[in-house]
Amino acid sequence: MNTEGDVDSDMECSDNECFGDDSDYYNTDDIDIEQVDPSKNDPEYFEFECLTEEQVERLLNESVELLSNNLQILPSLAKVLLHYHNWNVSEIIGKYRENASQLLINSRVKPSSAPASNNCSRYLTCPVCVLTHSSDKFLSLNCGHLFCKGCWTIHFEVQINQGISTGISCMARECEVLVPEDFVLKLVLQPNIKEKYLQYIFQDYVKSHPQLRFCPGPNCQVVIKSQDTKAKRATCSKCKSIFCFKCGIDYHAPTDCHTIQKWLTKCADDSETANYISAHTKDCPKCHICIEKNGGCNHMQCYNCKYDFCWMCLGDWKAHGSEYYECSRYKENPNIAHESVHAQAREALKKYLHYYERWENHLKSLKLEKETFDKLKTRINQKVMSGRGTWIDWQYLFTAASLLAKCRYTLQYTYPYAYYMDTGPRKELFEYQQAQLEAEIENLSWKIERAETTDRGDLENQMDIAEKRRTTLLKDFLDV
Amino acid sequence: MAATRRLQKELGDIRHSGLKSFRDIQVDESNILTWQGLIVPDSPPYNKGAFKIEINFPAEYPFKPPKINFKTKIYHPNIDEKGQVCLPIIAAENWKPATRTDQVIQTLIALVQDPDPDTPIRTDVVEEFIRDRKKFMKNAEEYTIRHALPRPEELPDTPTKKRKAKKKQV
Repeated sequence: MNTEGDVDSDMECSDNECFGDDSDYYNTDDIDIEQVDPSKNDPEYFEFECLTEEQVERLLNESVELLSNNLQILPSLAKVLLHYHNWNVSEIIGKYRENASQLLINSRVKPSSAPASNNCSRYLTCPVCVLTHSSDKFLSLNCGHLFCKGCWTIHFEVQINQGISTGISCMARECEVLVPEDFVLKLVLQPNIKEKYLQYIFQDYVKSHPQLRFCPGPNCQVVIKSQDTKAKRATCSKCKSIFCFKCGIDYHAPTDCHTIQKWLTKCADDSETANYISAHTKDCPKCHICIEKNGGCNHMQCYNCKYDFCWMCLGDWKAHGSEYYECSRYKENPNIAHESVHAQAREALKKYLHYYERWENHLKSLKLEKETFDKLKTRINQKVMSGRGTWIDWQYLFTAASLLAKCRYTLQYTYPYAYYMDTGPRKELFEYQQAQLEAEIENLSWKIERAETTDRGDLENQMDIAEKRRTTLLKDFLDV
Repeated sequence: MAATRRLQKELGDIRHSGLKSFRDIQVDESNILTWQGLIVPDSPPYNKGAFKIEINFPAEYPFKPPKINFKTKIYHPNIDEKGQVCLPIIAAENWKPATRTDQVIQTLIALVQDPDPDTPIRTDVVEEFIRDRKKFMKNAEEYTIRHALPRPEELPDTPTKKRKAKKKQV
């Protein structure tokens, strides 16, 4: 039982650590060089910490204390200022020294016009509930708009139930002044609503802090902290989610945040239509009539003009011969500018499909390889139980499988990158490296599937090659 | 109920002061949360008719905003075929509990008479509004003549009558 647990935790450690341990053992000089600047060797190097809610709370409170001491203001007002200025203490202090009043107006702490003057009569009518109470039942913010405590409480409850916290403002028409935390907490009495408010306000604070990110994992409370807001790979220490620190979605190197967003939206919009059209129809390359494929054979004959062609590349069938499956790299039609709008649209779709199919295919392969890996685990378990080797002997297979997943993942994300690249020498280089990576990954996958019969040295050599190809591609093209 | 008390006060105030461009206010005694009335714009292209609207107040009023619906068809960039209006003052995120219904109606009338091309709800109409104002005015006016309700008679509180009323009070 114990051993299995150990294996799992070893599997989860990143490859950097594993390699780091090895080199530490065999060669201490190497580790010294790596320590000088690890970002030089590893294009994906990223320093971050995983924090608990309490740790984040402490971190935020340090900023609040610093600011409230520096400007001699209440902590709850300091929070309003910090939230508005993305927790940049020095920026706030600078602006405060320059023009304190303007800063407070812009941050919605003070009203932009002079505060409403209130008469000091003993009884007042609340404009919201239109009831008359004694004036000690009334409260106002810096803007001087008086409302009865009962109405303030209901206002806060309604807002909090809609998920609003830092954005709650004064009840007066056109008044922009924000309600600070302590004012809300003083008047909201129901414990569950208070709880909700504290939760929402904490979320708003973290979201407005440039160095903090919530882990996107389901029901995970971990907050990741990093000094540089870059599109790098962050891994949650608790739920193991891997995500891009900048945009919070699945890690997507070498593609950047904006491009992957565009690609995913496009796939969500187009894939259904695209799937049908790609699977069933094409234009005859000679007479341009629309043809629906109704059989398995790729040798097509147009029913209209009787032209023989290949369904995959639309080339003449006679010239095809045995190089039938060479139709893999996407070749743009050089005459596309002179074609009709209809043909151009189809061309655009064709280009998209080329990349989409490969993207989708690697996604499927990743899933299949996960299954292979699970089966492998069971088989190794059986071997160890029956005394054929120890867990340590088979350890390299797990390392190989996780490396394969990592490489294929990067390969998958090279397709959206290539799709949006402009034609030119840089794209040619990219596609060359992509093809190299693709070939090595398929080799690695083949060797892992037949792991028990493959020579360990051979497999480890293949792992090294695949990872080198991946790193080379990222070094040249990952730009964050 | 807080909503009932506040709405009774507001309805009383509106009926007492009288809004020039919002007339024939009808409220069912048993349900004060639904109001109906006529919007009577006084500038072209909508000054050839009147438009019936319905205001629905939520039970949480005034902490949640009312909803407004046009019951009469209108050719307008900010009002769609179903009668839904895009009025920022009653959008959930902008709503202020101290905003009164007469202020909402004033804003609505201002929007009807002066469409806001920045917050369109009917893209075809706003296109025309920006590109070809003359054509828009013509279409909107024809639409008004064809679909809008007849305008109610002039209010009794014309300047002369107002003076009379004042004299009576004295």
